[in-house]
Amino acid sequence: MPRKKNSDKKKSPMAVSVIAVAIVALFLLRLVQVYAPLIRHNFFRGGINGALFNGLSLTPLGSDLFSASSYLALSLAGIFVLIGFLRLRRWSWVLLMAWTGISLVISLVDYFYSHANFAVMASNVIIAFALNIPEVQRIFGIRKDIDGPKV
Amino acid sequence: MDPKSERPSVPVGTTDLELLRKFEPVVYYTTGEQVYPAPVEPYVADASLWEHHPDGHDELLVKHGQMSMEKLIEPRPAAFGSIRYLRFIEPLNLGEAAQVLRDQAALRRQIGEFFHPGIGRLARGGFLPRLADGLFSLSFLLRGHLPAADMAAAELDYNTIREKHPEHVYYGRVTHQAGWTILQYWFFYYSNPWRSGFHGVNDHESDWEMITLYLYEEDGQLMPEWAAYASHDFRGDDLRRRWDDQSDLTIENGHPVAHAGAGSHSSYFRKGEYQAEVNPPLPGWLAGLVKAWDKFWTETLGQPAVNAFHVPFVDYARGDGLRIGPDGVQAWLPVLIDETTPWVSQFRGLWGLFAKDPISGENAPAGPMYNRDGSPRGSWYDPLGFAGLDKEPPPPQAQSMLEQDCREIMQRQAVLERSIPEKAEALQALGIKAKGMEGNPHLAKQYAALEKAIGTLGTEVRALRRESSENTALLQGLTRRLERIQAGVRDNPQAQIHNPAVPDDPSEALRFDRAAETWAAVSLSLLLFVIAGLIFFAPHYIWAGLAVILMLFVTAESILRGAFVQTVGRITLILAMLASVILVIHFWKWIILVALLVMGVSLMVQRLRELTG
Repeated sequence: MPRKKNSDKKKSPMAVSVIAVAIVALFLLRLVQVYAPLIRHNFFRGGINGALFNGLSLTPLGSDLFSASSYLALSLAGIFVLIGFLRLRRWSWVLLMAWTGISLVISLVDYFYSHANFAVMASNVIIAFALNIPEVQRIFGIRKDIDGPKV
Repeated sequence: MDPKSERPSVPVGTTDLELLRKFEPVVYYTTGEQVYPAPVEPYVADASLWEHHPDGHDELLVKHGQMSMEKLIEPRPAAFGSIRYLRFIEPLNLGEAAQVLRDQAALRRQIGEFFHPGIGRLARGGFLPRLADGLFSLSFLLRGHLPAADMAAAELDYNTIREKHPEHVYYGRVTHQAGWTILQYWFFYYSNPWRSGFHGVNDHESDWEMITLYLYEEDGQLMPEWAAYASHDFRGDDLRRRWDDQSDLTIENGHPVAHAGAGSHSSYFRKGEYQAEVNPPLPGWLAGLVKAWDKFWTETLGQPAVNAFHVPFVDYARGDGLRIGPDGVQAWLPVLIDETTPWVSQFRGLWGLFAKDPISGENAPAGPMYNRDGSPRGSWYDPLGFAGLDKEPPPPQAQSMLEQDCREIMQRQAVLERSIPEKAEALQALGIKAKGMEGNPHLAKQYAALEKAIGTLGTEVRALRRESSENTALLQGLTRRLERIQAGVRDNPQAQIHNPAVPDDPSEALRFDRAAETWAAVSLSLLLFVIAGLIFFAPHYIWAGLAVILMLFVTAESILRGAFVQTVGRITLILAMLASVILVIHFWKWIILVALLVMGVSLMVQRLRELTG
């Protein structure tokens, strides 16, 4: 006997799943960015083994530690947002869009000034475009117009 | 409602002057307005007459103090490309300008009227329009423009003249076109101090504004049907309101009410503060790029339209100042004009200083009958087309014209009903004949000719059937409309309006109005300071820093305006597009490869499904 579907439940568009997968991929990619500089500086064996500041500017160690902690914060924020996103919360769309925007800024600054991480950039692009899909915006209550798809 | 009920009327044959007086408008001004409609003669007497020659030099034709209406229209040959103009305010040196500004402040105190902008225009536009506004302000360094002291001097001179000539004049014109009786009320102001006095777009010496009423004749009476007010940003149908449109047009004892914009004198149907927009002229290639971007942004990405290039200005038509019109303290003095009025038809020049502004905003206007270049003014020679009324017959004619249309279509249908079966029968006969020829090679020539005739007749029959079908649909529409008219049902009075002029609701525009206003006032300067700091302290990161700072400013603005969500979405989308371009540049081969693979797999799956049923 076929199971009866709950018609009142909001149905997630495909894009929501795509975004969720992209967030997880980004989380893993960011983790690599967190650990790579820390391993380079033997952080896990010897802790902070040098000066972080040289006058007003950061030393290479300080710069790497700053980057690693920023990426870690972004990754953790990503997990927090992911939970809200899968529950179709409006705030999670706003946070995710802001988070993607910040992440894109970092990716672009990296691209123009140091080494680019194209995988992160591509994931962010996919998330940004997917979040902009009208159905996704409607399901999160961002777009209030009623001209949805005609049945 | 019967269109005639509660509508003022005058008998046909009433003199033009009485007609103008009967329907003359009531105009409400904004507190702090500097000049009001006045007679032209004292203005001309107080001006000098000049000629701007194509080689760039300006020649004085008649000195200040020697001008008269006769000298204004005196024929003087001039070279192609020359511009004749009046100059109301003689050039002021620095000391005189300072004195004039002090005198103006004293006059304002004496009159006891001050203009308070409230929440300024800067806070009402977004950050990008404000950036465009900054550039617009800077453009005055390059463009010809009027100093603020000139407008102050014009106000002082106007007040001096007003002591001798206190009357508020309108120049009325009555004309008849296509069944309509048209009343035009022209108002002459000695200056247009919109920019210097009310934070508007432009200043210029003198100003001509106009209100037009359209009357129709029925049962020996003339009755008003439409009112059109000249206004910025609006053209054609958007300019007029029907007499019974109570949502927009106010009638005071049979007189239409207008609210004049402070300094601009543009007329509005409802009092309020209006957003006027100026779109700076862009080079063709840039305008094309902007258009393409707009299309991509709205149609492809589904985003709301944003015009970052327009400069928002507020036109304050608050209606809380002087009232001029019948049944009040300040009444109108009507003066009849037409094509035979010498100063109207024979002076094609500008009624104030030619400021050499290439986009004309600061150049004075020409008179009622002409444009700035001396060509005839559309609102004068085609007052119906001016308000989009050229396609509308007067109400009594509308019914008879519709009845005539219906009769003609019915007659044509009767003809078609006879001719279509005849031609269809003839076509069938040809078809049968052609069938009989098939299989007879010796009839090849006749068969070819017959085929051609069948083709021609077939096309004709199809066209007639289409015409008949279209006529049926058209007749249904016209008949329904005729029935509505006969039943006295009127159209929606605002059906013709595509872009309604709606005043701002400042309380809705901003979330934290004080903070937003302060931010609006300082943000642009702050941005310049931060850029200077960036150049000095972090020159290597100038572009990235600039982009980040701009985003931070826009985000801060969006929080104040309650548009954070939309702004974050837009910024991220723009960044994503930039990142996409970078990805395409670096991985175009891979992108093509993946696209081909995906298409190949997709096609294969489809074909295999067909194969396996």
